[in-house]
Amino acid sequence: MEFLRDTQIDFMKYRRGFVVVSVILVLISVLAVFVHGKLNMGIDFAGGSQLTLRFQEHPEIDELRGLLESAGFQDALIQRFGEETVNEVMIKTPLAAEEEQAEAPAPAATGEETEAEDSEERRQAQVLAALDGRFNSGVIFDLNRSGSDALAAELVKLDPEGVVAEGGDTATDYYATTAAAVIAARDEDGIFTSWDEVASAEGVSATVLDALEKNTSLGGFALLAAESVGPQIGGELRTKGILAVVLSLVGMLLYMWFRFELRFGVGALVAVFHDVLVVLGLYALMDFEFNLTTIAAFLTLVGYSVNDTVVIFDRVRENMRRARREPLTDTLNKSINQTLSRTILTSGTTLLAVGALFILGGDVLRGFSFVLSVGVIVGTYSSVYVASPFAVLWEYLFGSEAKSRREVKAA
Amino acid sequence: MNRSLLWRGVLITTIVGILAFSAYPPDENLKLGLDLRGGMHLVLKVKTADALRSETETDMERAVRLLEDEDVTGVQARRTTETTFELTGVPGDRGETLADIADNYLARWHWSRDGDRVLFEMRDGFEQETRHLAVNQAIQTIRNRIDAFGVTEPVITAQQDKERIVVQLPGVDDPERVKKLIKNTAFLEFRIVEFPETGSGAASRDDIVAHYGGQIPDNVQVLSQDIRNTETGELVGEFYWAVQATGTVTGRDLKNSRPGRGQFQEPVVNFSMNPEGADKFGKLTGDNVGRLMAIILDGKVVSAPRINSRITDSGIIEGGFTQEEVQDLVTTLRSGALPAGLDYLEERTVGPSLGQDSIDQGLRAGLIGGALVVLTMLTVYKRSGINAVLALSLNVILVFGSLAYFGATLTLPGIAGIILTIGMAVDANVLVFERIREELHKGRTVKSAIANGFDKARSSIFDANITTLIAALFLFQFGTGPIRGFAVTLSVGILSSIFTALFVSRWLFDLVTSRRGRIEKLSI
Repeated sequence: MEFLRDTQIDFMKYRRGFVVVSVILVLISVLAVFVHGKLNMGIDFAGGSQLTLRFQEHPEIDELRGLLESAGFQDALIQRFGEETVNEVMIKTPLAAEEEQAEAPAPAATGEETEAEDSEERRQAQVLAALDGRFNSGVIFDLNRSGSDALAAELVKLDPEGVVAEGGDTATDYYATTAAAVIAARDEDGIFTSWDEVASAEGVSATVLDALEKNTSLGGFALLAAESVGPQIGGELRTKGILAVVLSLVGMLLYMWFRFELRFGVGALVAVFHDVLVVLGLYALMDFEFNLTTIAAFLTLVGYSVNDTVVIFDRVRENMRRARREPLTDTLNKSINQTLSRTILTSGTTLLAVGALFILGGDVLRGFSFVLSVGVIVGTYSSVYVASPFAVLWEYLFGSEAKSRREVKAA
Repeated sequence: MNRSLLWRGVLITTIVGILAFSAYPPDENLKLGLDLRGGMHLVLKVKTADALRSETETDMERAVRLLEDEDVTGVQARRTTETTFELTGVPGDRGETLADIADNYLARWHWSRDGDRVLFEMRDGFEQETRHLAVNQAIQTIRNRIDAFGVTEPVITAQQDKERIVVQLPGVDDPERVKKLIKNTAFLEFRIVEFPETGSGAASRDDIVAHYGGQIPDNVQVLSQDIRNTETGELVGEFYWAVQATGTVTGRDLKNSRPGRGQFQEPVVNFSMNPEGADKFGKLTGDNVGRLMAIILDGKVVSAPRINSRITDSGIIEGGFTQEEVQDLVTTLRSGALPAGLDYLEERTVGPSLGQDSIDQGLRAGLIGGALVVLTMLTVYKRSGINAVLALSLNVILVFGSLAYFGATLTLPGIAGIILTIGMAVDANVLVFERIREELHKGRTVKSAIANGFDKARSSIFDANITTLIAALFLFQFGTGPIRGFAVTLSVGILSSIFTALFVSRWLFDLVTSRRGRIEKLSI
């Protein structure tokens, strides 16, 4: 199937109108970031704690919020996570209050970060304790929260198979194997919801199961992940992230300058800025979390955006060699038309891949794939309607014609 | 032509074969990041100030002792900061003795007189060395403890300039225990109890203060002991003890320790002393028969048994421990005490089930995304599309193969990078195919259209991919774990897509068109 053969669209005809559209888009985006509040910073950059929990039964977010608020976590962020069926919830708490940190001794002393860090650990424990009150009352030795070593020790204590009497070490080994099997069975879904699931673990005999049922419990939720980032690390990552984006932009400009002419380098760079700002605005509006993976997405967007522009400019360079006297707008038009089917096809396949990731790739990568999905569309648009017009504008302002215009005026 | 075809075919098969072989089977040869397989990532700060403090105190005591050896008595010593101390009460006529000792035995210190006071300040070189050593020792200690704990493939690295240690432990299922094990300074001391002399500690600190008439003397220190329910191990209260402020026997004097069983089959720690420790321990216990001896771990009393007779080389530590705690205590005692305290700056623990979900979702998105791309290419380029699809499949094999071959780690963002590569890799093919079409429209023969198409697309392909490569490079530079994984898959994907598009795909075209003399039509 061959489409878009020998198109003759006059893209540059409406370039002024589209530049206005682009400027408006950028302005809206910048406003979106600042007016909408700020970006939803993840703990990577803002610091704080994040717990991922899986519940036995569908948890009510409002109820969880109530529990945390009464435990003093008014600013906790609670959101559903993962697929609907798995009852997963993510709880984010910001860094301990600033006053608390300010009270720490002399700012230069290492003591400051110490206080802040240990408090993150405490706060995680407090969050869990607040939930325990509602979901784990009367729970003894929670199988959904214990490690295999602790379970092995518990089994040695209970000694359902009566092997401890036979001699110390063999019993310890025996129960360690059983405990490891039980925990491995739990890891399949992250949580036990019934004793049948415990029974399915390899090496769990009827007597062991019986002892576990009598002496341990299946708590209401399991802790799937716990992360905390201190203020110092968060600050460092922030600096490094900004630096990476800025440096890669400079790197692009230098490469474009080296490979093409400055006017094309400037055009491509303006297009990249346009893409990053527009997508950032949409990102803020959608309230996706801004984290390390987001930085990766934006840097990739930078690469993709330039990539798309480069292919057009590469053709421009080729056409300019053939027809030197042709006006730049004509060359641009011709080049864009010649590469049009490639532009659309590549954008299309990339969009199919990242679109699949956006829909099927899970919550962790949703922000990432959003940036790239939107970025591909915006990047394709900007190659035609931002990069090219700016190359023309640069030519008009600083090119050889402009020089002769100035000379005429001066004379 | 045929020889060239053969030669290129052999080369392609070799490269693909080696990489495919190193990645197969994937679940054994692909190194998964902590975010996919589950595990702990910790960044710890070594509180090197602790080490400085202890060096300062050691040398301060040494200075006093050296002065005493020269019959200069009654000198008061006081540590003023982490790296300074001062002596007061050195008689004016003994200035020479002091200068002699300071210059010969305390050369690592800069000293000066200020009236009655003698100020000592740690020299920069010594301070740097102490800090450096503290980080190295901390790493060694942590490594010993982790090894004893039996974690497979732990990665422990230092960021010496920031006095930080990064610990990565795959597949840990009890993070709390590991964190405690790492952080325990495990500083063990034996000190004689001053009050109460009965079997159990005082119920409150006030009782002890009252015993001393409201003022606790300088040579006594009040320490607490946790009281726990013997059945559940739950914390139910605290005892307080007044113990001698200085102890002579510490964990450094131990030769060995191992788990054991006490009188009632309860878990205890058996320990034995090294020769020097045995001497000191013999003196301590021999001088204090009938009194209580507090066993203190990290500033908390764990038990206070009565000394029934002089003990020299071995003993037991009991403290209502669980089996697990005994095991951990033995591990920490054997690995030695940490030279300085540790703080957690960053901590990420991911359970294996969450990682598995991510892998499943990534795999599904990749398969469906890939299928859509394949369908598009076949629709648009017909039989030449097969060529692109072959190149794409090779590309995926090459990416996984290179990851396995170079031992790079696959992370969740890395999976995203591969999926992105699937979408972007066909770009190089598209650029070539579009050029071939253009050449065909100009009326060229199939063979020359193919040759021209590849030639003309080459510069676009390089330029376009190098820009993305620049971005990936900066990402790698910036990268912490998962992001670096993304940068790696993206870079590898770009490089292999250039290879498959320019080399493999060209070879396929040449292979197909070489069969017949003149080809009238190309399905593109």
